[in-house]
Amino acid sequence: MTVAAPEADLGILPKADGSATFKYAGYTITASVNGPIEAARRDEHPYKAHVDVIVRPAAGTGGTRERHLESLLESSLSQIILVKDFPRCLIQIVLQIETAPANDYVNTKLVQAGINLPIIPALMQTAVLALLSACVPMATTAAAAVTAFVSEGNETRLVVDPPQRELETANSAHVFAFTARGQLLLAESQGDFTMAEWEEAHATAKKICSEAAKKEGMEMVLDDEKHVGPDLQRFLRSTMESKVAEDLLWR
Amino acid sequence: MPLEADPSLNERQFVLQALKENLRQDGREFDVYRPLDLTFGDEYGHADVKLGKTRVIAKASAEVTVPYVDRPLDGIFTIAAELSPMTSPSFEVGRPTEIEVLLSRLLEKTVRRSGALDTESLCLVAGQKCWSVRVDVHVLSHDGNLIDAACFAVVAALRHFRKPDTSMEAGVLTVYTPAEREPVPLGWLHSPFCVTFSFFGDEGEISVLDATWLEEQVRVGSCTISLNRHGEICQIAKLGGTPVEAVALIQCTQLALTAVKSFTEYLDQKLDADSKRRNKGGLLAELSAENDR
Repeated sequence: MTVAAPEADLGILPKADGSATFKYAGYTITASVNGPIEAARRDEHPYKAHVDVIVRPAAGTGGTRERHLESLLESSLSQIILVKDFPRCLIQIVLQIETAPANDYVNTKLVQAGINLPIIPALMQTAVLALLSACVPMATTAAAAVTAFVSEGNETRLVVDPPQRELETANSAHVFAFTARGQLLLAESQGDFTMAEWEEAHATAKKICSEAAKKEGMEMVLDDEKHVGPDLQRFLRSTMESKVAEDLLWR
Repeated sequence: MPLEADPSLNERQFVLQALKENLRQDGREFDVYRPLDLTFGDEYGHADVKLGKTRVIAKASAEVTVPYVDRPLDGIFTIAAELSPMTSPSFEVGRPTEIEVLLSRLLEKTVRRSGALDTESLCLVAGQKCWSVRVDVHVLSHDGNLIDAACFAVVAALRHFRKPDTSMEAGVLTVYTPAEREPVPLGWLHSPFCVTFSFFGDEGEISVLDATWLEEQVRVGSCTISLNRHGEICQIAKLGGTPVEAVALIQCTQLALTAVKSFTEYLDQKLDADSKRRNKGGLLAELSAENDR
């Protein structure tokens, strides 16, 4: 099954310093970034900026699930934002989930603490786009991808961006985030898997998140490897390019 | 958290002077709304409302729960309006501000207490099982007149929403998934909308519809009237501020009625367009297992 190409809109909120809407694989997420702003006394750090991530679900109040996502994103985004440039400041990222893919074959309960890994890539991408839109200085950009191992008979198969139904029957799900230079930023796994499977998932995710961006011109055409997923770094770059071109139209 | 900056004295004077000369910052007449835009999401019960630069998303959802002990025959209906730091960094999570309290209170009075949603139809098994319908209001950006936009979004989301179909056979309750049976709409009785007037001048003699955030900051009072297209008033909230002449308020209700009529018309038209979009092959009527009332 193929998933539609990712879509993004930058600078959609008039009041926030930066904002972005990102649509991919059934997820629609809007993010706003304000920063660097004055930090509350309890969050103030004398040597670096505090990165505050708030994840808000589409329906219901946020709970443990959202706090977990927030802590994961907070630690990985602090790695790429140049936090030491802004001591005693706060960089606030609010991620509002608008839609999440639904499974037509089950009735979902509102409060669910089940699998929450597959939403991380969408949240990560939106946060990075909003940070770029807010012109927050960063060492590099980041991208994330989710993969899952689904068993068919006695064989297991790797699926990139698995749909909700496959995820529920999957043996294991893996989320990886990489910087533009291909350094591992986040690795979260769930379920039963072998080391070899993990290595395969890691390699596939790395290809989606960072590797293709390095290839230029001819190499790209000659590349006869199977295309596994969207090229996220290229997507990030082209989105920013079109936004900058739009903003500089007056010149 | 940084506080919002108040408009400067010059800005304040300018806005007030302009209003006294029958002029508004954005060139609108006093009784005209900013362009209203409503879009429905792919799933049921997702309404995205833009009123000028104000943007509100309402999301309706339903689940089966146990009814309240004192109301065994009623379902549960809640409206959750929480302002996140996305609206403005001065809002903190879990610390409601005055705007937020007023917003949820007004939505509650307008939509819930006016009996717009038939809560008795949400009952499945008396005293044991009922639907709990919840609307979450997400304010993405606030450029004035949040109440009207949020109320419109809530009503739109609820009227667009479909809950899973259920059946009762020999005491066994079955809740069908969307793949088994087409979801059914809620029991909807009437559509109330909020219309907010802002008053300016020493005695509140200038009344303005759909104020922007700047105008809201310099106004001397406001009045929110909720009514449906039949002119039935659900509530009037005039919370403090400069006293306003009774005759002026009656004129406001007249203006509110025309505004509500145009809201109703716009919403009906959008709902029609959306159901046409979903009903591509004309098969939706056959898929539905619901009886006509």
